[in-house]
Amino acid sequence: MRRPALLAAAVVTYVVAAWMVAPGFYDGFGPQQPYNWTCPPPQAGANLKPSSGHADIKVIGGVSDAGSAFTNDGQIVVGFLPGALDATGKTTISVDITPLPTCPQPPGIRFVTNVYHVVASAPLVKRASVVLVYSNLEPAPTAIYQAADPAGPWRSIGAARDAMPFTITTTSASLGYFAAGYPQTTAASGVLRIGGGSQVLPIVVAILIAVVLLAGLPLAMLRRRRAHGEGEAEEDEAKATSKS
Amino acid sequence: MISVRNRAHPAVRAVLVGAYILCVEWARALIATQPRMAIASLVLSLILGGVALGLVAVGWPADRLGLGTSRIGLRIIGGFALGAVLLLPAAARSGAVPILPAGLAAAAVAISLGEELAFRGALYAALDELGGAPLAIVGSTVLWTAAHALSHPPEFLGAVAAAGLLLALWRWACRDLVAPVIGHVIADLAL
Repeated sequence: MRRPALLAAAVVTYVVAAWMVAPGFYDGFGPQQPYNWTCPPPQAGANLKPSSGHADIKVIGGVSDAGSAFTNDGQIVVGFLPGALDATGKTTISVDITPLPTCPQPPGIRFVTNVYHVVASAPLVKRASVVLVYSNLEPAPTAIYQAADPAGPWRSIGAARDAMPFTITTTSASLGYFAAGYPQTTAASGVLRIGGGSQVLPIVVAILIAVVLLAGLPLAMLRRRRAHGEGEAEEDEAKATSKS
Repeated sequence: MISVRNRAHPAVRAVLVGAYILCVEWARALIATQPRMAIASLVLSLILGGVALGLVAVGWPADRLGLGTSRIGLRIIGGFALGAVLLLPAAARSGAVPILPAGLAAAAVAISLGEELAFRGALYAALDELGGAPLAIVGSTVLWTAAHALSHPPEFLGAVAAAGLLLALWRWACRDLVAPVIGHVIADLAL
């Protein structure tokens, strides 16, 4: 009885400890540091304001060099290939990233990151890569959205499949305002959504519990019955031996 | 004198196993935190880390590692139960849980397999030999937590320690490593 009790105590200890820090136990694929919010969700706790970023892209032989601009907290990185910016008449091109001080939530879209404004002193002529970090406190985004004005219209510019955990990446043909989110359906945010939102975890846990109950209990009962049967057989054998 | 000599070998073995595991885990964590590391390089370093951890179990008899095939059905079901418990807080909170790309999923399997063979397999067996089950449970949990100190923010270490304690207690209570391996793999794939 001591072992099951200790195991049960360990289960309760783990659930309590993991409940205090989302997502609980993970093995290195979780966010490395808390997200800096413009508008922190209630569960965020202490929050630092998101930072801005600046980069000077060199122009070499009339062609803009490869480079990237990112905020100091690393929550957005915009990468440029050689010749990505129109360098006509320039020796350097400056790129600035600033977090929007407000948190627009356009109809039909739920943003789960800050909105960032990316501007360059030269027009973009080749696609730039955009990488946004997101928090573990909100549902995972399915796409990066872009707009020329924070009031909209916002359009999805997709997401690549091989992004690092807690980052979403895509390419964009123009600069402007960027944020990551997902299309808002009739389900409220944070409620179970299957598929695009990758909110499959509750289903996985439910399936695991169902398998344990449906297969584990009969297996355990079978084992107990078998052990009981063996015990009775041994008892009968012992009785028969003592009679003879 | 004889008893000291008899105990010296398990002690040296436990220290060496623990030091090796810590070195591999910290090296893996330091490599993974390099800024702007390509995903292929990260996957490769994680898989190599998992293999390096698993190597520490080479030479141990399967039953000493808890890897027997008896009661295999119950062991597998136990693994599902451990997986459900490890994921329960994250599932209840309904936050972001990114689906891992195939490469990182393979790396997650390699790491969780390697970590279980190392911590609840070889290290547990070495500490059990040295000081019995209490030392094996506490020692493997302490080293497991220390091994994650570089890869996790400090506020997560309580949950890491609690997960290590749960897995070590299962290893002791059921004399089984199959369920911790399955539970750990499920948790790492989902988180």
